[in-house]
Amino acid sequence: MARRLVVKNKTLMVEGEPNHSLYVIVDGSFRLSKVLEDGRRQVTGFLFRGDFVGVRSTDASAYTAEALEDSSVCFFPHRYLDEIAIDAPGVKDRLIARGQTEYHKAQDHIVLLGKKTAEERVISFIELIGKTIGVDDDGRRTVPLPMPRQDIADYLGLRLETLSRTLAALKQDGRILELARHHVVIEI
Amino acid sequence: MNPLWRKYLDVRAPRYTSYPSALHFDEQATAADYGKRLGEVGLYEPLSLYVHIPFCRQMCWYCGCNMRVENDYGRALRYVRALNNEIGTVGRRLGGAGRPLSVHFGGGTPNFLKVAEIGDILGAIELALGLTDGTRLAIELDPRLIGDGDVERLAALGFNRMSLGVQDFDPGVQAAINRIQSFEMIESAVGDMRRVGVNDVSFDLLYGLPKQTAESFEATLEKTIALSPDRVAVFGYAHLPSQLPRQRLLDETLLPPEETRADLAGLADDMLVAAGYRRVGFDHYAKPDNPLARAELEGRLRRNFQGFTDDLADTTIGFGASAIGFVGGLYAQNAKTLGDYYRCTDRGELATARGLVLSPREVTIGQTIRGLLCRSQADIASLLAALSPTEANAVCARLESLEADGVISWDGDRIALRPEARPLSRVVAMALDPYAPVIKDGAARTLARAL
Ligand code: SF4
Repeated sequence: MARRLVVKNKTLMVEGEPNHSLYVIVDGSFRLSKVLEDGRRQVTGFLFRGDFVGVRSTDASAYTAEALEDSSVCFFPHRYLDEIAIDAPGVKDRLIARGQTEYHKAQDHIVLLGKKTAEERVISFIELIGKTIGVDDDGRRTVPLPMPRQDIADYLGLRLETLSRTLAALKQDGRILELARHHVVIEI
Repeated sequence: MNPLWRKYLDVRAPRYTSYPSALHFDEQATAADYGKRLGEVGLYEPLSLYVHIPFCRQMCWYCGCNMRVENDYGRALRYVRALNNEIGTVGRRLGGAGRPLSVHFGGGTPNFLKVAEIGDILGAIELALGLTDGTRLAIELDPRLIGDGDVERLAALGFNRMSLGVQDFDPGVQAAINRIQSFEMIESAVGDMRRVGVNDVSFDLLYGLPKQTAESFEATLEKTIALSPDRVAVFGYAHLPSQLPRQRLLDETLLPPEETRADLAGLADDMLVAAGYRRVGFDHYAKPDNPLARAELEGRLRRNFQGFTDDLADTTIGFGASAIGFVGGLYAQNAKTLGDYYRCTDRGELATARGLVLSPREVTIGQTIRGLLCRSQADIASLLAALSPTEANAVCARLESLEADGVISWDGDRIALRPEARPLSRVVAMALDPYAPVIKDGAARTLARAL
C-alpha cells in the first residue's frame, strides 16, 4: 500500500488508458467522467473519502477520475493484491466491501436520473453526498459540494439555469437551510 | 444535363429519410414493442429528439405535412398537455437512461405555439429525459408568425439553430402557393437571429412551384445569398394531388415542366456553390465553417427524418402526432390524428400506431443506401450478399444501366455517383433498393419525383 497526493484538476486515471491499481480515497474528492460517442463529456459520478475506484485491473479504463480539490489516495497494485489473495482469499472483496466503488456510482446515477422532478433529483443528490461526507451538528447536516455547479447540472441531466432555480426554490421552502458556493446545510 | 438522363427526370423515388420508408410501416409494431425497446436504451446512449407541432395558421397549397389549420389557441394548449404527458410516459420507460444530444422542433409550425409553451415542452423533456447546456436545440420557424421579441426569447431558452421556411421570394409564386411573406419579414427575422447570436440559420427553398421561372428563381437565390444563411436546403416540390387532396387547390397548369424543374435545381446548385456554399448530400448546402459542412467533409454526414444531419445519435425519439422514433432497430410512428393521439396520451400510454422491426437484411440495405446518399459512394458487396439471387440480379441490372448512362462508376464492389449526377442520387438509391419495383407498381403516385 502506498499513499499519493493528487493536486486539484490532476487525474488519477484516464479513460482509455491502462490502470492496474485499486485506489481508495483518503481525503478530498474526485469527478468521474467519460466521453460519449458524440464527443461530449458526461459526468458519471463523484468519489469521496472512503470510496474505491479502479476495482478491476484494465488496459483501458472506462472512466477518467479527476481531483476536484487537492486530494490524497492510497493505492494497491492489483498484482500485489492478487499475490496476497493466494494466502488470504477474498481480501480484495473484503477491502472493497467497506466503501463504494465506481459500480455503485453508476447505480446511484441511474436512480437519480430516474427521479421525476428537478427538486427530487437535486435533494436526493445532496442527501446521497450528505450520507458519505456530511458533517452533523445539532440536527443539521453540512454537506460539502466541492464540484462546480456545471458538473452537478451535467450529472443530474439539468441545465445550469434549472439547477440554480431549483436550489433557490429548495432554499425558499426550507428544505435547504443554507446555500453556499461549496456547501449546503440540510436538516437531518 | 446529359441527354441520356432525361428519362430519369420523371422517376418517382422515396426520399429515404428512413429505410424502409414509412410507406412500409404497419400495425404489427405496437406500443408494447416500442416500450420494451425504450427500456433497453443504454444509460448514456445519445438520443436525438423530435417534437412535432401539427398546427398552422394558414394552409400552404403545396403542403405535404401532417398539419391542420387551427385558429383556437386552446386546442394548441390541449396538444401541449398531451405532449407533456407523452414525454413523461417515455421518460418513465427510459428510467433515467439515454442522454439527449439534440432536440428538433418541427411541424406544421412550431412557432404556432407561444414561446412560453415551447419552454414548457423543453422543461418536460428536461425532467423526463434530461437536458444539459450542451444539448443542441433546433426549431423550424414560419416567418409570418414570428412576433416581436420571439427570436430573442427562443435564443434565451437555448435554441441555437433556427430554420426559416422561405420557399420562394417572388410575390407571384407566393400568391400561387398561398404563402405570402415579404423579403423584409425574412430579413428582419434573420437580423434578429444574428443580433442574439444564433450562428446556425437555415433557409428552406422549394423549386418546381407554380409560376417559377429561371428568372424568378434566380432572384430568389440572389436574395437568399444576400441574407447569407448558414445553410440552405433546396427541395423539389412533390405534386401528388391524389394522395394530398389539399394540393388540388394549387393551379396545376402553372407548374413548371420537367425540364424547367431540372434547370431550377441546377441554377440553385450553381449559384449557391459560386457563393461559397458546400454541397451537402443531394439537397443541402452549407457554409464551409458550418457543422453540417464539416460533417460532410469529414465523412460524418448522416441522414435521418430531418434530412441530412451532423447529429451522431442513432436512436431517435419522436414526440407528438405522427412523429417517428427509431429505437433498437424498431421504427415506431405515433397515431396521426389528434383524437387517436390524445386517447393514448390521456391514459399515460405510448401513442405508437404503426411501425416496423428492421430485419438484418433491411439494416444492410439501409446502411448501403444511406452511405450512397451521404457520401456519394457505396460498397455493394454486403448488400448483394444480403439479397436473394433474383433481387441481386435485378439490382445489378439496374446499376448496369445507370453505369451505361454515365450516372455512376462501378469498380468491383464499389459504386460511386459521378459528381454531375448528384441530382440523381435518389434514382441510384432506388436501384439499390429491392423494394423499389414493388413501390413502382403499387404506390408510385405516393412518391415524389426524384428530381
Ligand atoms: S407552414 Fe408548412 S406545414 Fe404548415 S401548411 Fe405550410 S407547408 Fe404545410
